[in-house]
Amino acid sequence: MNANAKNYPQPVEDTDNAPFLRGWRNGRLMLQRCTSCQKEIFYPRPMCPHCWSDELKWFEASGVGKIVSYSLIHRPNHPAFSDEVPIALAEIRLVEGVTMLARMLEGLPQTGMSVVLISDDNVVARYPLPVFRPLT
Amino acid sequence: MAHQTGHTANGKGEIGIVGFSQSDYIKKTDRTLISLMADAGRGALRSSGLAKSDIDGLSVCSFGLPPDNAVTLAEQFGLSVGWAYFGTAGGAGPVAAVLNAVRAIEAGHASTVLCLAGDAYDVEGHYKMMDQFNVALRNYGAPNGFGGANGLFGIIQRKHMETYGTRRDQLGRISVGQRRSAQRNENALLRSDLTIEEYLSARVIADPITLYDCVLPCAGVEAVIVTALDRVNPEYGIRILAGYEQHNHPVGEIAPLSGGWEIFRERLFADAGKEHRDMDFVQAYDDYPIMVAIQLEDLGFCRKGEVGAFLEGHTFAFDGSFPLNTNGGQLSCGQAGAGGGMIGLVEAVRQLRGEAGGYQVENARCGLVSGYGMVGFGHGLSSSAVILEKI
Repeated sequence: MNANAKNYPQPVEDTDNAPFLRGWRNGRLMLQRCTSCQKEIFYPRPMCPHCWSDELKWFEASGVGKIVSYSLIHRPNHPAFSDEVPIALAEIRLVEGVTMLARMLEGLPQTGMSVVLISDDNVVARYPLPVFRPLT
Repeated sequence: MAHQTGHTANGKGEIGIVGFSQSDYIKKTDRTLISLMADAGRGALRSSGLAKSDIDGLSVCSFGLPPDNAVTLAEQFGLSVGWAYFGTAGGAGPVAAVLNAVRAIEAGHASTVLCLAGDAYDVEGHYKMMDQFNVALRNYGAPNGFGGANGLFGIIQRKHMETYGTRRDQLGRISVGQRRSAQRNENALLRSDLTIEEYLSARVIADPITLYDCVLPCAGVEAVIVTALDRVNPEYGIRILAGYEQHNHPVGEIAPLSGGWEIFRERLFADAGKEHRDMDFVQAYDDYPIMVAIQLEDLGFCRKGEVGAFLEGHTFAFDGSFPLNTNGGQLSCGQAGAGGGMIGLVEAVRQLRGEAGGYQVENARCGLVSGYGMVGFGHGLSSSAVILEKI
């Protein structure tokens, strides 16, 4: 068994989010932008939550952002996370303007800290969703 | 069963709550949810003086009832109803349901509505539910080990503390004050002493949220009966003066420091013809103390960002300077799933009818109940509130 394999809860891939999840499996942060109002979107949607256009385009984001706030979770829901406590869950504002929730690995978060997507193959293979580390 | 509209000449509906009940709150039970709902329904009917044959409307708010719903519950209970409502707004649902019941009665769709809220809940069941709570959390929250609502509200609390200087020793006054009230309430599950020191040094759940910020999932059901007030003994009737709901405000923020109450608070008090100082108590959705704080700001009891000083300036037990969640609230009674959205409403009625016994707020004549819930991607999406008054 792959030493990286863990029984994390998995996202369910569907026609709305497949480019996002497939992008992450290739170490990329894929986001939607509405071609009508030009706003970026997270989490993946079937139509623009700003203007209701269904003409959305996927693009590769820089992976860079800043921590807006965070929590250190000592009591996770799911047993798969118990040996990684505390889980650092951050609200991250990406340079593209949109915010997302994501885990930060490799250090403790601080509000205002710059972070970047981790693209290491082992990390990408292990974690079901994009994860970030401090940008040094 | 005549359908009455209950409007007075000035248009302010004379429709209110005439019966209330809370089932036993049980930490873990093998009783069915429907049996607990039956207990609460019978209790509410008894306290109204009405008959089962009067009930012609039914609303229910519950996370665990599906695949059953209000209509199948009507079948279980032997009711034929002209109005059936299943709550969609989590812990804000029960207050919203009562407001919608008033509208249904005014429109002549029903005359007497039984409103139920509750779950046969336990800790493990709650955590499993949160991992699958909706598509957004299942796909983009659970795989991150988000820790259920705890992690999300940890983010909100930290943001409020870092933005406004709100402190844990200020928020803890909510947990401590409510525990004092709970010590007089035999149906509360948590009744041991709680000091501010114990609150501050408690086990970390999702920093900065610690143990006494969190509710204990349990089994229980709350119930009220809504009808035109001229049908019952005035001693039983509590007026619904005004109420509103708002969902997904502010739009598009993952961890907002405000909620829908700021949209409707002025209308709420204006419609009710009341000022903040007329409230003899507030029953606010208390999962978590930071959300109580945000409700107090958004409902206008203090300015946005100034709740820390407000909390420091008050005590919150039933006999304190600002009676809050006067039976101990969810924090000390337990969170019976969606029942957490009605525990405050039932407690408000109990207080206004003078039936709160050892935790009675003296001379309680008027109070506000605030609902919150339906955790989406990062926060609770729904807000509701109602102002009630003794006849």
